[in-house]
Amino acid sequence: MHKQSLVESVLDNLPVAVFVKDATDGFKFILWNKKQEEITSLRAVKALGNDDYDLFSQESADYFRSVDKAVLKRGKLLRVPEEIIDTKHRGEVHLRTVKLPVHDERTGHDLVVGISEDITEKVQSLRQLEHLNKNLVETNKELADTQMQLIQAEKLESIGRLAAGVAHEVKNPLAMILLGVDYLSQGIDPDDPNVDTILTQMREAVARADRIVRGLVDFSSQRALSREPVKLDLVIDEVLLLVRHELTRTTTNVTIDIQDDLPHVFLDMSKFEQVMINLVINAVHAMHKSTKAELLIRGRCERMKDVIKNQGARKFEVFRDGDQVVILDIIDNGTGIEKGDVNRLFDPFFTTKATGHGTGLGLSVAKKIVALHGGNLTLENREDGKGAMARLILPTKIDTGKVSLVPNLLKEIDT
Amino acid sequence: MAKKVLLVDDEAGFTQLLKMNLEKSGGYEVMIENDSTQALAMALSFEPDAIVLDVVMPGMDGGDVQAQLQQSPKLSGVPVVMLTALVDSAELSEGAVAQAGSTTVLPKPVDLSLLLRVLDDMLS
Repeated sequence: MHKQSLVESVLDNLPVAVFVKDATDGFKFILWNKKQEEITSLRAVKALGNDDYDLFSQESADYFRSVDKAVLKRGKLLRVPEEIIDTKHRGEVHLRTVKLPVHDERTGHDLVVGISEDITEKVQSLRQLEHLNKNLVETNKELADTQMQLIQAEKLESIGRLAAGVAHEVKNPLAMILLGVDYLSQGIDPDDPNVDTILTQMREAVARADRIVRGLVDFSSQRALSREPVKLDLVIDEVLLLVRHELTRTTTNVTIDIQDDLPHVFLDMSKFEQVMINLVINAVHAMHKSTKAELLIRGRCERMKDVIKNQGARKFEVFRDGDQVVILDIIDNGTGIEKGDVNRLFDPFFTTKATGHGTGLGLSVAKKIVALHGGNLTLENREDGKGAMARLILPTKIDTGKVSLVPNLLKEIDT
Repeated sequence: MAKKVLLVDDEAGFTQLLKMNLEKSGGYEVMIENDSTQALAMALSFEPDAIVLDVVMPGMDGGDVQAQLQQSPKLSGVPVVMLTALVDSAELSEGAVAQAGSTTVLPKPVDLSLLLRVLDDMLS
């Protein structure tokens, strides 16, 4: 064995594969370092003096030759981000290669110098990560579907709770229509002043029943979250229509204090109504012992800084200082929240109601729906200790800047 | 002289239509009270021969009004017809109706001919 020159020694200790082909002499290999031996599973003694067609498959050799020719034609360095070679011991090996043309002044030959880095492991981890990412996306989708199903299940539950009240609200207009028919079926006297009144009342009764039934149908329909700009007072009107019977039955006095010119909020009406119905019914139930049940629904627009100031040291991570938000408070004068229950209110299946009177899902689902709207729902006792307050904080614009961690990670690995 | 009927129900439209029907078909003199908390005062001044009461009303429900009427020596003998749109029969038995004793309960939407027959029976 001949003594290695310094250059050969350096080349053999490089962590990258280096090879040189003599383009003037049939692209035969004239240099093949240790790392190149390792990567290709081919010893230098076998490779030197041979060309790609002697060492690799026809397909691979064609490709290498075309790149070599391109390098010579361009007369400058060419990067091949990824190429694959079949090797005897390691199967497919992925390489990142740089090729550059060199003119050997001594012999007058044109050479192609190649430097390759083995990126097989990197590519494999990337594939694995892509696979995991795909699984993650699928799992996320399943989770989102399950959440929607849960929201729907809770909605059906609240429809059950509302059914008696809605039936009452529909039966009253029906009773009026029937009375109108009874009156008119006895013969219509053109001079009877009652006829006009009766027809007007009947028309109004039909419109009222229609409104209630339509509200219920809208409310019960299952859809993906579909947000639109809405006026909050409109939502409150719709909700109060659906829970009117419950309010009347419990003699609850409702005060609505909504700031004029409140900005629109981007809501999925049906899902947001579900939240409001849940909160109002909860408040009504909490006031069953109150001698005079008073429900206050208060809405106003504020900048986030003021909200935090008003709320002490509490942080709302979904909002930033200065964000314009709409705050909706539902305040009752009921029994308030037991100290021990404060931290469990939003836990799924937590309920203080008797078995059969609540699933314990209402508040956890309500909080989820509000979160899907980019908002926040909190429940606390009133400062004066005379009941509880549910507070909804809603953004007045939709945040589209989504952070996606996984693609960023992939990018980092790739570079 | 026409018999007098007092209608107590918070549904103004409903009472208006019922009044027209009772006047036209039954020949009754009908008075309306849409505020249940004023029902007793109205009954004392109107002195009805029969009272038609709704069950679910804000302020005071039909049961509360009925109890007030029972306590008034002047009104305790006045027959009462209770109307309810409640669909749950369990609610009917445990609430207002149980206290109502011999009071007749009719479901809403009210069958006018049935109501007229009941009133006729009560007042004949």
